[in-house]
Amino acid sequence: MANEWDVSGNAAASRTFDGPTGWRKFYNNHRDVIIAAIILGPMLFWWMVVSGFPTAFGFLLGFFKWGEITASPKFVWFDNYIHFFRDPQYYMALWRSIWIGLLVTGLNMLIGFLIALLMNLSLFGKAIYRTMWYVPVVTSVVATTQIFNIFLDINNGVIDNLIKRLGYEPILWQYSVGWGVFWIVVYSLWKGVGGMALLWLAGLQAVDPILYEAAEIDGANRLQKFWNVTLPGIKPIATYAIITGLIGAVQIYEQVMFITLGGPYGQTEVLVFRILRDGFFDFNMGMAGASSVVLFAVVFIFTVFYFRMFASDNEKSDPRRGRRKRQ
Amino acid sequence: MKVKPINLFGHIILLVGGLVMIYPLIFMVLASTFTKQEYAATVLGPFPIAIKPTFANFRIIVGAAKDHLVQIYFFNSLFRTLYSVVFASLTAFLGGFVFARLRFRGKDGLFLFMLATAMIPGVVALIPTYIEYARWPYAGGNNIFMGGKGILDSWWVYMIGGPALNIMGAFLVKQSMEKVPIELDEAAKIDGASTFRLIFQILLPLQLPILAFIAITTAQATWNDWGTPFFFTSSDKLQTLPAAITRISSIATSAGVPDYPLMITLGLGITFPMLLIFFFFQRFFVQGLANAGLKG
Repeated sequence: MANEWDVSGNAAASRTFDGPTGWRKFYNNHRDVIIAAIILGPMLFWWMVVSGFPTAFGFLLGFFKWGEITASPKFVWFDNYIHFFRDPQYYMALWRSIWIGLLVTGLNMLIGFLIALLMNLSLFGKAIYRTMWYVPVVTSVVATTQIFNIFLDINNGVIDNLIKRLGYEPILWQYSVGWGVFWIVVYSLWKGVGGMALLWLAGLQAVDPILYEAAEIDGANRLQKFWNVTLPGIKPIATYAIITGLIGAVQIYEQVMFITLGGPYGQTEVLVFRILRDGFFDFNMGMAGASSVVLFAVVFIFTVFYFRMFASDNEKSDPRRGRRKRQ
Repeated sequence: MKVKPINLFGHIILLVGGLVMIYPLIFMVLASTFTKQEYAATVLGPFPIAIKPTFANFRIIVGAAKDHLVQIYFFNSLFRTLYSVVFASLTAFLGGFVFARLRFRGKDGLFLFMLATAMIPGVVALIPTYIEYARWPYAGGNNIFMGGKGILDSWWVYMIGGPALNIMGAFLVKQSMEKVPIELDEAAKIDGASTFRLIFQILLPLQLPILAFIAITTAQATWNDWGTPFFFTSSDKLQTLPAAITRISSIATSAGVPDYPLMITLGLGITFPMLLIFFFFQRFFVQGLANAGLKG
């Protein structure tokens, strides 16, 4: 494949007075498109296989009734969607996904921000603190949910043993909806807050120190500096964190799958877990497809909201942004 | 030496909270020294200390087990992770190069489209992916689309799926590469560098920090990914460490009392390599996050 620039030694020597001809001329005129096609072609094909095609398929699935993997699917228009909003099992699962997602994201951001503020102080041994707080993020979900299950075990649970030793009645965590949600939220916070703190920390450290100096010269105190310099400075990262956090949080299911298994009586079931149950265990492909489209609609609303906020914010705050010109 | 009250406050909160963060790991280390019998007989406190501590569980993981399945799981995890890291970095870098440096019609539209689809919940594609794998043409006994099991329960599942293709990474590389002045490319061009050389010898070294970030996050995602083996494979030889934990627990439970200490030890075995990687490369994390175009 000829991929030399036209000014390279060989091409320059062999070039006629009229300039390069044939393939070389074609290549020189369309260099960018050709290289892009060579690189993006296989990538796009791969992407179609693992993401594009299955996603499109998933959207179509919502319009079919498909009970068994061997039976042929039947087109039922919007029946699955109508069923979704009539059956409390489904819309309650969606509602649970949203409010648990909001709760987890809110607490995560708040705690993460306070921790990041403390990490931003020039403390002795802050690399150790950073590592300690980030440890849960790198751990495996299956391994750590097992530990949570050991803590909450009915027979020999660590927390119940502690409660018994203090002289109170042990709590049957698995039989209570409130406690089930509580432990799901606690696990999510434990796993997520370190990453959020590090994200905030990156945002805090990206604020231009000159702005602080300028504020100091203007006689601003600590609180004023925080309010007028720090907060506007971290706004882009805040928007990013809120929206990606929400998008991630409405999709939590591993906690539910491994800690409460949706119980008691499906009362802690979130939508993604329900989709998995429909798809892999009950072979109700149509409802799984329809539910995931509804979930996508929720995520899409968050995403549009995000791009609105993020894009308008960039235009205002960064005049250098805009199409970069070559030459 | 005088300590400022705010710093003292910071030390206390960060230390206490940090200990809470690593407490489950401490518990795991303590519990992994139990034997199955002693574990079942002990009333577990927050810090269980074995009367007769043993390293038998660790020995089983390192190679004392009769069937050597743990070794197979470990090597599956390792190969899978290496493969994903190589390909995720490569696709992220080349994709980022295309979108940062080349000009062609429809570039912005294509990029926005790919980025937008990365926001679609993965579960939308999960079940169709299962069907797609099961109906893979001419594979696993399929006559065109039907008949066999397709590429389910084979290495292809790990080769094709999972985090090996990284669109978000391409976005990060694009953001980072746009900060490198275009004059550098032009200088290389004038000095006679081919495109191949420009990409791999001039632009690649400058993107190493962000690529390290992508490589580490991909390594974590793949190493801890239990979903791909759980949903798409069934045979023992194809399981990875995280998927094995769920398996061991079900096997152990059917035989009576679950062998919790062994499970916990396996969990430690999964966690430990990632902890080491994070500890040694943590500067890339902060750098990577700051590089991701999120600066104020």
